[in-house]
Amino acid sequence: MLGKKTGSKHAAIVLGLLVAFAIYLLPGMVGEVLAKEAFAEQVFAEEAFAKEVMADEAAKTGEGKPEVEWSQDVFYKDWEGNPLKGPVSGAPAPELVETDYNRYGFAPSRMILWIANQQHLYFGSFVLAVPIFCMIIEFIGIRTKETDPIMSKKYDKLAYDLMKVSLTAYSWTAILGGILLFTFITLFPGFFKYLAGIFRPVMHVYALMFLAESGVLYVYYYGWERMSQDKFMKWIHCSLSVLLNLIGTVLMYLANSWATFMQAPGGIDEQGRFLGNIWHVIHSTLWNPVGVHRILGNIVFGGGIVGAYAAYHYLTAKTEEERAHYDWVCYVAMFIAIFGLIPLPFAGYWLMKEVYAFRQQMGITLMGGIMAWLFIIQAVMIGLLFFAANSYLHNSMSRVKGSHRYMKYCKYMVLLLIVCFTMWMTPHTIVMTPAELKAMGGAQHPVVGHFGVMSAKNTAVNLMITCTVLCFILYQRANKKIMVPWATIGNCWIAAIFVGAAANIIYLGVYGYFLPANQRVGLSVPQVSTTLTTLFVGVGINISMFKDSESFGEITWGSQSKVGTYAIFMMAIAFTWLMGLMGYIRSAVRLFWHVTEVVRDNSPDAYTLTIGEAGKMLTFNTLFVWVQFVVVFWVASLTGKKAEVKAPAGVPVPAQQQE
Amino acid sequence: MNKGLLSFVLAVGGLAAFHIGLFPVFTPKEIGWVFNRYVYYLLFAFYLVFIHVGLRLKPPMALRALYVWGMGFYFYESILYPPVPWTLFITYMTMWSIGTFLYISQDPLTFREFRAPIVKVIVGDYKLARMVIFVALPFLVGFGTYKALYPHFEEPVELRTVHPAPPATTRVHGKNYTLEGLNNPFRTDEQDNYKDSFPFLDADKQEYMKSVTEGGTIFFQNCHFCHGDQLNGLGMFSHVFNPTPANFIDPGTIAMLRESFLFWRVSKGGPGLPNESTPWSSAMPPWEEHLKTEEIWKVILFEYWYTGWHPRTFDTESSAGKE
Repeated sequence: MLGKKTGSKHAAIVLGLLVAFAIYLLPGMVGEVLAKEAFAEQVFAEEAFAKEVMADEAAKTGEGKPEVEWSQDVFYKDWEGNPLKGPVSGAPAPELVETDYNRYGFAPSRMILWIANQQHLYFGSFVLAVPIFCMIIEFIGIRTKETDPIMSKKYDKLAYDLMKVSLTAYSWTAILGGILLFTFITLFPGFFKYLAGIFRPVMHVYALMFLAESGVLYVYYYGWERMSQDKFMKWIHCSLSVLLNLIGTVLMYLANSWATFMQAPGGIDEQGRFLGNIWHVIHSTLWNPVGVHRILGNIVFGGGIVGAYAAYHYLTAKTEEERAHYDWVCYVAMFIAIFGLIPLPFAGYWLMKEVYAFRQQMGITLMGGIMAWLFIIQAVMIGLLFFAANSYLHNSMSRVKGSHRYMKYCKYMVLLLIVCFTMWMTPHTIVMTPAELKAMGGAQHPVVGHFGVMSAKNTAVNLMITCTVLCFILYQRANKKIMVPWATIGNCWIAAIFVGAAANIIYLGVYGYFLPANQRVGLSVPQVSTTLTTLFVGVGINISMFKDSESFGEITWGSQSKVGTYAIFMMAIAFTWLMGLMGYIRSAVRLFWHVTEVVRDNSPDAYTLTIGEAGKMLTFNTLFVWVQFVVVFWVASLTGKKAEVKAPAGVPVPAQQQE
Repeated sequence: MNKGLLSFVLAVGGLAAFHIGLFPVFTPKEIGWVFNRYVYYLLFAFYLVFIHVGLRLKPPMALRALYVWGMGFYFYESILYPPVPWTLFITYMTMWSIGTFLYISQDPLTFREFRAPIVKVIVGDYKLARMVIFVALPFLVGFGTYKALYPHFEEPVELRTVHPAPPATTRVHGKNYTLEGLNNPFRTDEQDNYKDSFPFLDADKQEYMKSVTEGGTIFFQNCHFCHGDQLNGLGMFSHVFNPTPANFIDPGTIAMLRESFLFWRVSKGGPGLPNESTPWSSAMPPWEEHLKTEEIWKVILFEYWYTGWHPRTFDTESSAGKE
């Protein structure tokens, strides 16, 4: 009985998440395909138009200068590989001089802008992530209303509570956005003028979208109680969250276009003159990968913050009910964070592939050149995230009755994680003294030197993700006695999928050493597909085996170990730092350009920071934003306390605890 | 005898016996498939498991954690060969220590079990242990401080970028080259379908092999003194240089780079490197002063042919903006 209940609940959670996530990413994927077709037609029309204009001009030879000047795009090409032509529609990029930059005495302008930008991005990420959570959690709440009304109410309340925090954070984000804008305009007026000249319409649309976002957000939040009265209105309310997320995503994509244009411009000519097509400027080569990467990053970041918030309350809870509630919130937050964490490295690979494809020079600066050491630090931080996630899962699993059957495998999974992580973070170029270099017999170590290339790293990260998925599957079934008649076959299938996946990932990794680099890069696709197969098929089979399952005992919420709870803090802080680091790397790779190869940064701050200085800035930004988060959560709790008086005493008991 | 103590004695005694008795046997000059240090390590690990399972010893968690940590230390300190640099050793041991902690803390019970003897030492249940540890601790710190302050005369570690980002353009023999999209003019067959052909033997048969042969000749006249006749960076002069010459066999050097990168690197040599790559610490001469442009391209062709690598290329569909 209980098994059936919990089984269907888990099924609903996981399927709900998968479907919601697929729907969420669908527009991007479909958009990609449609964009290609649309682009083909557009190029054809533009070329035809260009030929007509040129023919007219040729016919009018001697009748004065042509009115429209045509120029070549720096990025876009036509189907024959020639640079695309467009009508010059803007002023050339300015040669910035000293007077184009303003300064304060206490800090370099670039640092001030960096802090303003980073703080806004942190909060922006959080307020974009929370509606995604609310959408999913509210949806699960609606779906479980008939089968498990108490749990449904609990989900609904959680979504509402999160939205309440998000509302405070939303205005905070807007204030930080204003600070960022003023900082940009006042300290970099020359560059802002150029950027505003090109993105003028986008900036206005962005402002209007912000208005729409605010409107929907307020209706969504303040209408929560009223729209929960009947079923139809509840569905409308849930649909509002979809709308809210769509608008939020458009907002983020619009803002992304400024950053991706600065890094890899398109839609302008070599002199930086706008060529009349705003879509080209927005949709530059890094726009899509950065967008997808940020969506996933936001989910993990938001999950981390909500998890840390719940973990803090869990550790300081005074009653058992409170502990049970926040333990459960920790679980939901971590579940969402891990769900975003698993595909995140793949989005990162896609982004890096596009960066390399845009400019080899930029790719090498990132991965092999001056930024390479920062990527090693990034590898460490990603490893810490996976460690924290697995540590949380192990500790959570240990408190579930029946988990003794699987706990014995944890140590082997830890071993696998450590071995993979060792491969993952072995640098290609090792820091060493000349004496050590001599002792090693060359710059590359004959054994661990093989781990320095992408074949090894792809293999390691895919195995780490597969291991995390396996851990999650074991966690799911920890308290269940599988009763379906095909249990043995199902177990064999799951085992075969994981063993086969590991063998395939390792085989492809080793095979990569025998292939040219361009083909080797392509191997990451089957590796990723293998990993995702374990995720979707493995979890799918696992859930379908829960039918008619018996329970060894309920999950005793409120009994999470302290180590497992601290793992959540570690994940949240590590991700905040990591997010700052990757943002810095992505931005700093432009080196001395405001817009790569078009607008040169002629300010006195156009230098690359040392690793230590960058690290200090990142740590400052992390601490600063967490101080703000604490304040925001405190402000949100002021209203929470008032609401608690009205709420019925006692927290509903989770479904797992009910007989 | 206490089973925990027995486990400890067998583990330490076993390590001593293995290390003194068996390790020299497994590390002969001519390394074989069986007689090598990694097989030795596996044997020792097997021994540890065997005595614990066979004698049903269940050492306390703290001791188990010590074994796990110690096995990692022993591997990175004594087994892995050649020895890894200090920075990498520290990195690996940090990883291993985190792994040991995850092993300990996977379950509140195991963590409690691990903590128990530590807590007992601190609160005074194990009086002798507390006395020894708290007396030894200041001495250990003192020794560490002494070691840290003792003057060292090693050359400092440097963060040298081996593959710096190339410039957008380079000027060789009076001509400007845009590196983006620049290809080897002698690479007539993109797929390198000449696996059964050999330079110097088949040079008359194929135009491609003729260029490879000429590149090989230039290589052996100019480059092999440092980069080695097997292109592994171990030429006869290689040992006097710091850093050592590049090893082209390694999958992390020319296999990862475009030919245009090599063209720039070979033409400009050490002095042409950007600051991040410390141009003063590369002994490679700017070969544009000694070789013609086409000779540089042919040497590059030969290096790829000999090593079997294919130069890095990128998909053009996304880079060309035809989206």
